Amino acid sequence: MAAPPIFTEEEQAFLRELVRQRVDFMIVGLAAAALQGAPAVTQDIDLWFRDLGDPHLQEALRRVGGVYIPPTPSTPPMLGGRNVALFDIVVTMHGLDGFDREMENTIEVAIGRTKVKVLSLERIIASKKATNREKDRRVLPVLEDAAATLRERRRGK
Amino acid sequence: MKLDTDRIRKLCSKRGLTLQALLQHAAVSRTAYYSLARKVSVLPVSVRAIAGELGVAPSAILEEAPPAEWRTRALLRRAARVLDRHPHAAFENVWHTLVLLEEPPVDRLRRSLLRGRAADLH
Repeated sequence: MAAPPIFTEEEQAFLRELVRQRVDFMIVGLAAAALQGAPAVTQDIDLWFRDLGDPHLQEALRRVGGVYIPPTPSTPPMLGGRNVALFDIVVTMHGLDGFDREMENTIEVAIGRTKVKVLSLERIIASKKATNREKDRRVLPVLEDAAATLRERRRGK
Repeated sequence: MKLDTDRIRKLCSKRGLTLQALLQHAAVSRTAYYSLARKVSVLPVSVRAIAGELGVAPSAILEEAPPAEWRTRALLRRAARVLDRHPHAAFENVWHTLVLLEEPPVDRLRRSLLRGRAADLH
């Protein structure tokens, strides 16, 4: 049996709606690293929002059949619904500045016809170093080698 | 067979490269490039002579490697240059990054998510 498709048009539609609704957000974590070319493995797409209470975020979710599930004392804020199941909400990025400052460290990456803000690989590395869990330490050499490759590529352009 | 400099420039522009960047990536000096560009034929005299004796165009007696092989060799050269400057980097990380950079971002992310899903299953 063929594996179910991954990151389908319906799932990409959420990013499109976020951009259309002018929600301030960026893709962070290993999904952001992968978008920039790092051979990193991830199971979800981490999104960092400036304001989880932004009504435009609710509207973007509504348009793709998703819902925002606020945090409880024992659970983080989450997104519900088939088309947004792949996305996770990140509330803190260890070792980094606040959202607005880090927005300056993003690059625009085209996902289909939609351009989204993606945290730079250098800042993802800084965050992984600060978090310093075993899984972060394991992926750091991959990210650092990918960053070196990107730097060399930029030098050649 | 002459070097088609117009075609090279068009291909550069299609890939978002300047001619200077192309030559740098290919490790070809500007002198070598412009010397080739001035030549009436870039093929060795012996190849032209054999083709002439056979009464065919030189391209008729040449076998071309598939484009994938040329691209792979070019990426390997690029990986070698990265590793020269970053000797502590692992070849496989550099190589996979260069291969992924050949794909659109959405496909890079799909690969990452697919491998993540596979890892989750095993």
